[in-house]
Amino acid sequence: MSKTDTHGRVAAADDLLSANVTGYGMSYAITSLVSALLVVLKESAEPVMNLMKALAGHHWVTQGLFDLLLFVILGVILSRSGAQKTGNALSAYIVGSTIVSGLIIAGFFI
Amino acid sequence: MSPELILMLHPTFGVLGIIAAVWVFVETLNANAQNVARLRLAATSSAVLIWLSWIAGGYFYVLYYGADKALIKAGPWPFAHGFVMETKEHVFLMLLVLATFLPIAAAGQIIASRSLRSVVLWTSALVVLMGLAMEGAGAMVSMGVKVALMSKLL
Repeated sequence: MSKTDTHGRVAAADDLLSANVTGYGMSYAITSLVSALLVVLKESAEPVMNLMKALAGHHWVTQGLFDLLLFVILGVILSRSGAQKTGNALSAYIVGSTIVSGLIIAGFFI
Repeated sequence: MSPELILMLHPTFGVLGIIAAVWVFVETLNANAQNVARLRLAATSSAVLIWLSWIAGGYFYVLYYGADKALIKAGPWPFAHGFVMETKEHVFLMLLVLATFLPIAAAGQIIASRSLRSVVLWTSALVVLMGLAMEGAGAMVSMGVKVALMSKLL
């Protein structure tokens, strides 16, 4: 029988998340890394920068729309895959990808 | 509405989005049947406010920031654009996606699942930290403009 805390909630930290939360959480982790790499790519390759400027009028707007679209598409695909992770595992992916992506972006411009 | 007022909406919505994320964090620590609706309202509010901050800041950035950028680059603090603004504008996109994920996560079985509470706690904490970093970076960019203008007067 599972242990419960003072609110009657399950106290175990290793229960599996739903496929929906796992899918969109992993989608964020992947999207943030892809977004950071896209920053390096567009700032290093003029044709990519020009393409992104042409697509939405400004490279940053294009990148914002691309990130949101990628997050939704990956979220739908990964949610439907049915994969489930524990809270600790997904939190590690979310925090880790945020730190690595932030360092890639800041490191590139420093 | 003047461009300057639109620009002021950017940090205003941002701070409110940060406060809403703090609200999510606190409600999640004590998630139960009585506060779960409030928790989800706070998560949705945080996402909506960060989106509004993105729209207001993006509108100013795309249409009006060019003049500020030229001033900063010619002034004594060129790093306020070259490093701070460049990093800020791209990390903000990660914050936008993360804030969008917050209400998705909060919509799950948060009372029954300690794993989900852990994810919501980490996500809301990251929204707060990244939001505060954006606020600080915005202040640096504003100071970059100020010192550039001051150097022209002296």
